[in-house]
Amino acid sequence: MSAETNDRMKDKHVLIAVDESENAKRAMLYVADFLGGFPGFRATLLSVIPEPEADFFENEEARKAWTREQLDSANRMLENYRQVLIQSGFPPEKVRSRSCVGDAKSLSEIILEVQCEMSCCTVVVGRGHKTKSEEFILGSLSSQLVHQAKNCAVWVVE
Amino acid sequence: MRQRSAAAATGFSEKELRRLIRKRVPRDRVPLRINVKDTSDFSRVDYDDVVVLAGVPYLVRNNEREGRFGIEDEPKFWVKRAINLLTGEVRILKWVFRELFNARIGSLVFECVRSPQKEARILELVRGRADFMQGETVSDSSGSPLRILDYIRGRTLSEITLSFGSSHEEFFSARYPALLSEFIQAVEAIRFLHENGEKHGDIRRDHLIKDDLTGQYRWIDFDYNYRHSVSRFGYDLFGLGNVLLFITGRGDVTTQRLLHDAPDALARLSEDDVNIVFKNRVANLAKVYPYIPEALNRVLMHFSQGATVYYETTEELLDDLGEVRGRLNA
Repeated sequence: MSAETNDRMKDKHVLIAVDESENAKRAMLYVADFLGGFPGFRATLLSVIPEPEADFFENEEARKAWTREQLDSANRMLENYRQVLIQSGFPPEKVRSRSCVGDAKSLSEIILEVQCEMSCCTVVVGRGHKTKSEEFILGSLSSQLVHQAKNCAVWVVE
Repeated sequence: MRQRSAAAATGFSEKELRRLIRKRVPRDRVPLRINVKDTSDFSRVDYDDVVVLAGVPYLVRNNEREGRFGIEDEPKFWVKRAINLLTGEVRILKWVFRELFNARIGSLVFECVRSPQKEARILELVRGRADFMQGETVSDSSGSPLRILDYIRGRTLSEITLSFGSSHEEFFSARYPALLSEFIQAVEAIRFLHENGEKHGDIRRDHLIKDDLTGQYRWIDFDYNYRHSVSRFGYDLFGLGNVLLFITGRGDVTTQRLLHDAPDALARLSEDDVNIVFKNRVANLAKVYPYIPEALNRVLMHFSQGATVYYETTEELLDDLGEVRGRLNA
């Protein structure tokens, strides 16, 4: 068994779901502060672009252009956040990032699919500060994750 | 001469059109001149004009209207009632267009679109279902899509609810169980949309019409889409909650109304008892009408300011409503 595989098996893998919000940034900084510099952890930063529903675009080209722009922006943000985690003490080879485009599935389902696929033991999200009506109509990612997650911990960072 | 050419260009002579119109409207309502209009611009199509779509001539009647909250009905100039001159059936002609706008619900603002492609998709999805408006898409004279929709004869859920019973208690015992069953069927219809990944987009009590022919409620006007966030169907569920509160209260039970009619009931209310968005509407209706059973009131309280858990799917709502229906009918 190679040293890298051995490391990977032993490492606790943390999935940090982020978007461009301050809440998400706080969640990433919490992980950096809490786990950075400790051995035995790896982190993956995940950004899911909201589903670009065709109804909102003039045509398919406009939809593709919007998606490209969103992905570019998300990837820039992920790279910045990756650097923060590295500076906090995570070894560069133990910080990865991934971006994808949402579909008809809920955001929490997509995050938990990635968590399952990457065998992450913990999902970290920031807590949004929504009013009751916003939470009702728009929904709450942290609530959905807490209710739906199986075989993993969910950290909701205030 | 020009009129005659316009009529002939559609495949019908003026004489033929006049004969067809005579068959469909009283003699004194037959227009003096037969105006066959180009269909590319809805603003140029008026009452008594004839338009020909997919080879079928229609005699245009009034613009459709949309009204609520007691405000005078707004005419929808792009939606016109018309008579199919070949069959005599009434149809709704709807010139479709795409429009992006921000909707405001209380303090919440979100992006919405009026989308012809969404309406076309759903019309296809619900084809043959008795619980949705039916229609087809044809091309106008410029090649743009134009909808021909079935005209549903009947009253809206709002009109029907308000017409029931002399007192609320009498309404609740005599009429509400059947009304709730019909509402549950309407929620089942929305579940069908959601299961197929579609939102209704504009769930309101006046978008449910009870078809006089079938006796079944049918959803209309599903061309809106809203930019959802985490909860794809949250806004639809909010709409369903408002309709449920409306039928249970036999109208919106507002704090203003209580102040006038039942100040004691108003005094019993707390901040948690009002609608989660519309703070002047009461959600905790058992505090106003104590005979409302606890199980039903628990469902209503999911739409209140005091709610700590919310419905995220129509299935969750249907499960609870099914239980309530069972108890009401027991």
